[in-house]
Amino acid sequence: MANRMNWLQGKTVRKNAPSASRSSSTPQVQSTSSTIFGGGVKDPSGRITEYSSDDDQCPVCKSDKYLEKKLRLLVSSCYHKMCESCIDRLFTLGPAPCPICNKVLRKLAFTPQTFEDLGVEKEIAIRRRVAKEFNKRLEDFSNLREFNDYLEDVEDITFNLINDVDPVGTEARIAAYREANAALTLLNTQREEAYILSLRQAEEQDRKEKEARAEELRREEEEERQEKESGRREIIEQLERAEGSDAANVVRRTKRERAEREATRKGVAPGKGAQALLRARMAAAAATAATKDTPHIPLQDDYYAYDDMFVLQSTYVDPLSEAVRKDREGIMRAGGYRVEEAWERAVRSAVAGLDLWPLDSNQDAFQFSHSFDQGGDAIMSAA
Amino acid sequence: MAALKIPKPFYEASTQFKNWRYSPQSLAQVRSSLNAAAVAVIRNTFEADEPGSSSAVSFLAPDEELLLVRLYVSKITQLCGFFRFPEEVEATAVSYLKRFYLKNTVMDWHPKNVMYGPPMRSLTALFLATKTTNNPISLEAYTNNIPKTNPSDVLDLEFLVAQSLGFEFAVWHAHRALWGIWLDLQNAPDAPPNRAASQSEVYDTALRHVRASRLSDAELIYTPSQIALASLSMASPELMAEWAASKFPADSPSLSMLQSTLASITTLIESAARPVDVEAVRGVDLRLKLCKNPEKVVGSKAYLAKKAEEERKAEEKRNRKAAVDVQGAMEEGDPFGDELAGRLVDYDDDDDDD
Repeated sequence: MANRMNWLQGKTVRKNAPSASRSSSTPQVQSTSSTIFGGGVKDPSGRITEYSSDDDQCPVCKSDKYLEKKLRLLVSSCYHKMCESCIDRLFTLGPAPCPICNKVLRKLAFTPQTFEDLGVEKEIAIRRRVAKEFNKRLEDFSNLREFNDYLEDVEDITFNLINDVDPVGTEARIAAYREANAALTLLNTQREEAYILSLRQAEEQDRKEKEARAEELRREEEEERQEKESGRREIIEQLERAEGSDAANVVRRTKRERAEREATRKGVAPGKGAQALLRARMAAAAATAATKDTPHIPLQDDYYAYDDMFVLQSTYVDPLSEAVRKDREGIMRAGGYRVEEAWERAVRSAVAGLDLWPLDSNQDAFQFSHSFDQGGDAIMSAA
Repeated sequence: MAALKIPKPFYEASTQFKNWRYSPQSLAQVRSSLNAAAVAVIRNTFEADEPGSSSAVSFLAPDEELLLVRLYVSKITQLCGFFRFPEEVEATAVSYLKRFYLKNTVMDWHPKNVMYGPPMRSLTALFLATKTTNNPISLEAYTNNIPKTNPSDVLDLEFLVAQSLGFEFAVWHAHRALWGIWLDLQNAPDAPPNRAASQSEVYDTALRHVRASRLSDAELIYTPSQIALASLSMASPELMAEWAASKFPADSPSLSMLQSTLASITTLIESAARPVDVEAVRGVDLRLKLCKNPEKVVGSKAYLAKKAEEERKAEEKRNRKAAVDVQGAMEEGDPFGDELAGRLVDYDDDDDDD
């Protein structure tokens, strides 16, 4: 049981396999599973959901689920699968070559498998590594183009690493980059951490606030209940004391008094006012802290759309679009079709380029089309 | 216009204006140079096949190729009528086909006899147009309705066609411009209230002229609005004059330019409206059979030679790869043997413990 608890704290969950731990006579196996917490891909709750299937077979000792119910395959740093017993057998005495690719491996370097496809596993690990090194941001560049070039470089390196293209050169590139940008990388890492921290704080703040609100609600309810209780008791007492006077009168008076008390309590509502104030103050602080957001301009091309050449009518006599306009149920207008827009497009295209001179034979456009023509030949002969 | 910089007109930002606008002379030049290049390539292939054989072949001249292209265009119209495609699909497919033959010649890649079935090129152009104009049809429904056609015939050429078009699929059409003019005419100050209804035959005639213009080179030389206006002027010169006067002041140079442009478009449309001489096309097509690029004709010597060459290259590559693989395997040695032998005892121990 203790072993089992260890396991859960290690936050490794096996997807299909029974969660029984191994017999205590093989403590080494347990140590294997407790050494692998670094690897694998975690789900949002921070756990590793391990992949396993009934067709699992250890490529080294060929034992499968049928022979060994507890078969569990781990992935080496060279992305080859092996069962736990093979790992123990081969690597307990220290680093040894991988039986499949001969790369020297150690026992600690085995990780649980998260994805069915090991290629994905590898890619994620590599991308995580690259993202740690190459964390420049758009602000670190003078213009967008440089940033895009940088991103392309990064993608290049990632691709090389994933597909083992020129590993030596790529590692050299990474090392050179690391040397050149150590300070900036560190700064960005810190920035990233600060950002995550601020997110977490905001979350915490939110949670606390919610709790406080719930608490206050509870308290109010309690007060109300007590009030009601005491009111009832008061009526009974008064009825007991004043035998002679009219019972209905007593009840009415006590009720009125209670209503007055309630009104004063609601009017003050101390908790709510304070909280609203607090929230407003926090929102103001967040607004000043956030970076100034420039308005987004999607299109910077400034085109002349012939707007002075036509005046659009609200409606036209138009047999062409009659079916659409007569369509009561709007089936033809589904997807946001508006006949006005079709009209506008048509009228715009009626005046577009009306006064364009046709090309003369000696104009430069001819040169252009001629060079295109060469390209056309290339297509033709290559095809 | 208070802006400092004069903004660029919308139409001039289109690829149609930038890349597919020619003068009549440059159009002829492009076609003849394309033809000359293709003839040279095919002649070489013939010579390589059988020395001296090319002298007997009469290659197609540029205007004969144009005749064939015009025929393909009319086939597209027939097909669109059959499938009941919208006008936009038809116009787009025609534009694609014309643009395609500004980058390729009919002598290359002409897989089927024109007279007995539509050439694959127009099939592919039409299929592509259904997709780019948002009127999709399933490939099976498309090819099942055309005799002697397989889905692969259409798909194999699709990328080639798209590549030749430079992936510029958006086309400005004259029929839309005509619609716009017809709508805008209702806006004229002294227009009779029910002009669109009472004079609808003018619109129909103009639309016929627009359709005829698709058989010509008009769209490669003039803007869609000019073609539409020319079609309107052929149907009703008064309406055209009225509308043009509302757009330009009476003494503007644009107006006079427009007049001369409309006149030349009118001649183009009139010549395009004449039916194609079927006998002439049949003759051209017969000759085309003889002068097709032999590398593309299944079963010819050049075709076999090219296939053999490709095969040889692939074989060479395979051999090279196999050699590398074998070598690699030899160097690595048996991946399992040694390791397992060394640790076998350990494995047994483990088993006992379990």
